[in-house]
Amino acid sequence: MIRIVTLGPFEEADIAVLSRTLYQAFGLGTEHAGQRSLPPEAEKDDGRYDAEKLIAKVEPIKTFADDKVLYLTSATLALREGPLGEPPSWSFAEYGSEKAIVSTARFPARGSSETAIEAWRKRLARESIHAIGHLWDLHHCYDARCAMHPPWSPSLPANPEADLCAFDREKSERRIRLAKT
Amino acid sequence: MKGPPPPARYEEPKEQLPAIEGIIIDAGALEPGDRVVYPNQGVCRITGTESKEIAGQALELVRMVREEDGAAVLVPKGKVPTIGLRKVASGDQIEGVFHYLAAQYDDPELDWKIRHRDNADRLIAGGVLGVAEVVKGLHALSRIRPLPTKEREQYDNARHLLVHEVAVSLSVPPAMAEDYVDYALMPPAGVTFKLKPPPKPVELPSRPRRKVVARTSEDDLELDELGLDLDLPEVPGAGTETPDLPEAPEEIAVSADDSPPALVDDSPPALEEGDSGEAGAEEAAGEPEPEPALDDGESEELAPRRRKATSGEHPEKAPRATTSASSTAKKKRPAKKPSKPSKSAHRTHEAKGKSEKKKPVKAPPKKPGSKAGKKK
Repeated sequence: MIRIVTLGPFEEADIAVLSRTLYQAFGLGTEHAGQRSLPPEAEKDDGRYDAEKLIAKVEPIKTFADDKVLYLTSATLALREGPLGEPPSWSFAEYGSEKAIVSTARFPARGSSETAIEAWRKRLARESIHAIGHLWDLHHCYDARCAMHPPWSPSLPANPEADLCAFDREKSERRIRLAKT
Repeated sequence: MKGPPPPARYEEPKEQLPAIEGIIIDAGALEPGDRVVYPNQGVCRITGTESKEIAGQALELVRMVREEDGAAVLVPKGKVPTIGLRKVASGDQIEGVFHYLAAQYDDPELDWKIRHRDNADRLIAGGVLGVAEVVKGLHALSRIRPLPTKEREQYDNARHLLVHEVAVSLSVPPAMAEDYVDYALMPPAGVTFKLKPPPKPVELPSRPRRKVVARTSEDDLELDELGLDLDLPEVPGAGTETPDLPEAPEEIAVSADDSPPALVDDSPPALEEGDSGEAGAEEAAGEPEPEPALDDGESEELAPRRRKATSGEHPEKAPRATTSASSTAKKKRPAKKPSKPSKSAHRTHEAKGKSEKKKPVKAPPKKPGSKAGKKK
């Protein structure tokens, strides 16, 4: 089961669309499990939130075995600096763990037109699939059409599809099958 | 109950791979709690040593646990220097890896055999830079065309190994290490890195592309059956071995089992090169004639016939005709019994005897008049 927890105000319709998309992508039941507040200790001096700390310090919800929790926030996430600098982050999740976080801060504006809203929802779904995929031990994929492709890649199309490639889909299905207790 | 100790297993001498930085040569240097990298397995933690009796032999084993999933790995102490066990990459090595990953790379190996073999070598003996080379090479290739399933798996495994080693070396979660790796491999638009010169690529062992086999007449038969390209240009030279042929000219002409493969295999290159093969064929037919006469006169007259006979209707595509002929020969071969060299000599004598007996039976079809008479 995938449980969505919002860390701020989100449209119910957007969450409903996201739930349906995640169900289609992983074949797991998805529900909105409520709203929590952002942990202040995760906030950095520049106003961004340390993704690692945020996941560690956020108020937990009740879960069962094999449940995955997806946190949604509009705050900007920050990662530790690497050897070549800090990579931009849309989401963060540790392999095989149960918590993932997605930020909408870097998304294009949601807008008010139906097309813009549709594009925004698709982007949210893609990043959510990406984060949940990491929870099922999926690595990044070189296929730009796959949801596991890095979100900063220059080869990513403007309106990317929210779906896994065949290789990742098969791998995630295998993981999910093995994880079912 | 103890039996006699098993005989020492024969092991082929392994090619000595170039030593890489941080490789562990002395098993005594390993302490419990050390983190090491087992090639193709990932980062392991040493938990101690223990002695076990396996197959009647008392072995001192190093026990380690793979960090990723907790799998136990036991390695005999004597094997430690040969399996490529190495220390986790240092900060400098990791920095070099990132500068290598971010550098320009547009020359992926396109020959899948060489690529697969080299990648396997790099994963085993190339250290962290070797793993990065596999990731970078296959990633560059994936931009040209989608990777086949096996290489996709190899790419995924290499990536997995690299990400975990980077994560351990930099003390970050693996997911973050993967972000670092992909940030270097696929930088966002407008981002440029100040790169240092990448480290020297891993030296792979120089292997012969093909095994050099000492050629004997028996081996020729086997190699021909394998359809190796190596033999094709040398077939005219094999005419020098035709002194064997006069002994069994009739068997080739008459016996249906043994002769056709030899004729099918040998004739196309002979056609290309000249008439040396035909000389062999003439000899095989039992009509020994001087070679110069064949070269001058018959080569021009018989060339069209030979092309038709070998289905080579396009003379300008002669090399392809040879390959197609050899491929057709390959297709036909499985239906036939594999001719073992030792038995073939025996068969020739048998066939010779049979052919002598069958001669009167097969003689009538050669006469057109008799055929017509039979039909009527």
